[in-house]
Amino acid sequence: MRTPAAGTERAASVAGAPGQGDRRPGSGSARLRARISTSRAGLSDLVVAAIAGGLLLLAGNLVAEFTAFEWTLWAIEVILALSLVLVWGYCGIFSFGQAAVYGIGGYAYGVFALNVAERTGETLSALVVAAVAGAVFAAALGYFMFYGNLSNIYVAIVTLATALVVFAIVNSTAGSAYRIGDAVLGGYNGMTRIPRITYRLPGGDPTTLTRVQFFAVCTGVALALALALRSAGRRPFGRIAVAVRENETRSSLLGYDVRRHKLLVFTLGGAIAGLAGGFYAAWGRFMSPTVFSLKPAALVVIWVLVGGRFSVSGAFVGVLVVEGLSSWLGGPSGDRASLLVGALLIGIVLGLRGGVVPTLGRLWREGVRPSLAGAAIRGDPAGSDPSSPRVPESGPRHDRPPSTPASTHPGGEAEVWLGAGAGDEAGKTIEDGDGAPGALLEVHGVSKRFGGVTALDDVTLAFVPRQPSCIIGPNGAGKSTLFGVLTGYHGVTAGTILLNGEDITRLGPHRRARLGLGIKMQVPSVYDALAAQENLWLAAYAASGDRDAAQRWAARILARLGLCEVADLAVGALAHGQRQWLEIGMALATNPSVILLDEPTAGMTRDETERTERLIAQLARHATVVVVEHDMEFVRRLDAPISVLHMGGLFTQGTFEELSRDERVLNIYLGRGADGPTGRTDADAG
Amino acid sequence: MTADGAFNAWFSLMTTVSVLLLVSLGLAVVFGLRRVINLAHGEFIMFGAFATLTATRAGIGLWVAMLIAIAVTAAFGLVVELAMIRHLYERPADTMLATWGLSLILVQVAANIYGSVTEGIPTPLGSFGVGDYSMSTYNLMLIGVAWTLATVTWLLMRRTRHGLLTRAAAQNPVMAAGLGVNTRRVATWTFAYGAGLAGAAGAVLAPVVGVIPTMGQLYVARSFMAVIVGGPAFLAGTIGASTVLGTVENLVSRGYTPVIGQAMLLVAAIVILRFLPQGLTGLRQRGGLV
Repeated sequence: MRTPAAGTERAASVAGAPGQGDRRPGSGSARLRARISTSRAGLSDLVVAAIAGGLLLLAGNLVAEFTAFEWTLWAIEVILALSLVLVWGYCGIFSFGQAAVYGIGGYAYGVFALNVAERTGETLSALVVAAVAGAVFAAALGYFMFYGNLSNIYVAIVTLATALVVFAIVNSTAGSAYRIGDAVLGGYNGMTRIPRITYRLPGGDPTTLTRVQFFAVCTGVALALALALRSAGRRPFGRIAVAVRENETRSSLLGYDVRRHKLLVFTLGGAIAGLAGGFYAAWGRFMSPTVFSLKPAALVVIWVLVGGRFSVSGAFVGVLVVEGLSSWLGGPSGDRASLLVGALLIGIVLGLRGGVVPTLGRLWREGVRPSLAGAAIRGDPAGSDPSSPRVPESGPRHDRPPSTPASTHPGGEAEVWLGAGAGDEAGKTIEDGDGAPGALLEVHGVSKRFGGVTALDDVTLAFVPRQPSCIIGPNGAGKSTLFGVLTGYHGVTAGTILLNGEDITRLGPHRRARLGLGIKMQVPSVYDALAAQENLWLAAYAASGDRDAAQRWAARILARLGLCEVADLAVGALAHGQRQWLEIGMALATNPSVILLDEPTAGMTRDETERTERLIAQLARHATVVVVEHDMEFVRRLDAPISVLHMGGLFTQGTFEELSRDERVLNIYLGRGADGPTGRTDADAG
Repeated sequence: MTADGAFNAWFSLMTTVSVLLLVSLGLAVVFGLRRVINLAHGEFIMFGAFATLTATRAGIGLWVAMLIAIAVTAAFGLVVELAMIRHLYERPADTMLATWGLSLILVQVAANIYGSVTEGIPTPLGSFGVGDYSMSTYNLMLIGVAWTLATVTWLLMRRTRHGLLTRAAAQNPVMAAGLGVNTRRVATWTFAYGAGLAGAAGAVLAPVVGVIPTMGQLYVARSFMAVIVGGPAFLAGTIGASTVLGTVENLVSRGYTPVIGQAMLLVAAIVILRFLPQGLTGLRQRGGLV
């Protein structure tokens, strides 16, 4: 068994050797590569967009004016589709209301332009108003949906219902009584004589865009937005959105404000859809309430589904394929178009789950290069699409031979843990606020009742810095409830929770995470669809707010966890033990002062358990570690002060030796659990 | 307010609430018991209405035509479940998309067959008078039908073996299957029953509303709001939510316009969900499914 003295010695030796081997050059090259790969990707995007834009402009000037006019609508629809790619593809918000926001933008443009165009001689301000109206509408709706914690499916229903209600309202505004200034809403007849896009240079006359110019503007905006979205996907904003999409619980445990981020993304998507609506109103010079009905709402989803919801370029392909097909079948208002849309929806869902274009792409790849079929595991669905946000390559993987944490160097000097690096480059941005790692976590008189069931009854506990503490107890003792209360997932019925003397009783999980609480859940809660290094980057970025520093920090933790070989694999494909370590690593990457571990060894082999135990001993040198455990052998080897919960109350406290001599404890717990791990407990909450 | 005026107001309120309950029941069953988000629910109602219309045009009496319509809609639901829904359990987003596609197709097919003009079935049963007010006897029947169907569904779920198996399969399908319940068949019949309830709503509403291909749009949003606001105990919840939301709609409609009433129904639903994300019955910890 490890003694505390040995641990201190190792800590000292670690602190004395900060510049071990490849650490500094490794992180430096990681940074450089990240920069280069980001700018390279951005550059190639820019080249593609410039070529596409040039070709389209050329084509727009060559074809008949009416054709350019029709193409303009498609460009506008691409902008609308891009808003859904952002909202649904990136952030996972299942919005059926993009077409409704588009309609709001269109009406806003119409009302504003009709009122000011004659006075100011321009309608560009009306375009701004359209985008703002879309953003405000989305923000108001989003506030209620996201801060009400509605699940994704409910979000879909609420957005759809909202669209239908707006449809009914606007439909009923027929008659000259319904007017805003000079703008007559027109009800089911629609709003007519909406001004075209007009600008006026200072001192010049009002100039209205020609059809070809209008086409150029819409195409330019669509391409610029596409570039912006792809760029956002490589930046923290987009990567956090993807994190929220993949795992909301983990994101808030890392300290991200999930609701706020969803609201931000949804509002931004609303602004884009509103802008598209403004263009649409200027294009047709007419707005009809049918834009709020079910078919346009479905169409947006179809475009994005056909193109692939994670794909920015798919928005272009989706609009072209679907609109091209429907215009070939007899125009968007034709009977067959509606049947086509319906059949496409059913067909895609039942047959081609990834979307038409990505599925064709996959079939192509599999047909051409069957040997690479294994690559499909990698990051699907997020990682298989090149435009989807991913982490750039990291350096250390190539700079050093792969290692596993403690296994290859049992108890040796290589067993350094990360806190020792506080003096090096990465440590400058990610370090403990006061330079004294570990914080005091206290629980005072906490009770928690679920209906009539008292799961926790007046529990008072203090967890001391720089050493592990264990909480044990039989099934139903209240361990999981206590864990939930500490993480902030359960509110307390009575009592207070203090972190370094600060009252955190009323704070939600993400606020607690920001104050330095790192959490590992019982069932690994990681981003299964994302690469291991992306998982760690998200954790590190939550703490540091610095993209490059987070990249280096993630690379180092990856190396320490021995996961370099699988750094680019989707985490869902990793072994159970690896996922457990990864989650511990993520808790650690936020540089917490308190780490809560719920059954860290659940489902592990004996060898994995032993490694985890060493890992925890190392963690405890830099942070307060609280372990909720079931495996008595593990608890014994951890050699930490133990608190025994029983029937929701604190039964007794002591070392393993003291408790194993306590008849009462043996009766309530060890007597039943002494024959080994008994698996998971989940019924504590009743 | 005089006594007859008060009764008239109450009658109008009950009618709104009952219509909401009627159109929501079928959805409550398939969503509450199978977690199927059927965006074609409105079109199932439309299906029932057109079936009634077709049958009466063929010379069949209205009441018999309604029964036929219910059976036909339930049978249609059976087919939809077998062909589509059963491949999509546990994939709620995909279910929504597929049923949405179905909804668009059904609207278009109905428009191709019947045209998009309003079709009329004359409202039967005449009226009755209370004091100075005259009220539609048919609306009285409509109220009766809505609450009868709710009661029948409750009894079916609570008092019959089939209902017990259905609830078991809904709460823990793996365990239910382990105990020998054919969960697939239960799912199919549940969906067909829900479709039948939607058909009943369409049949009963056919004489009082315009039977047009897009009529489903009128009801789908409202019924979803009622079911979501209702929460996990789907039957009690839907009844409660129909009462609350129907009251809002009725009172606002009377004060302003029916459209503002519909809008306020939505606003009320969203505000309720903001503060009770689990719905009205979400507060009960150990609530049953009914």
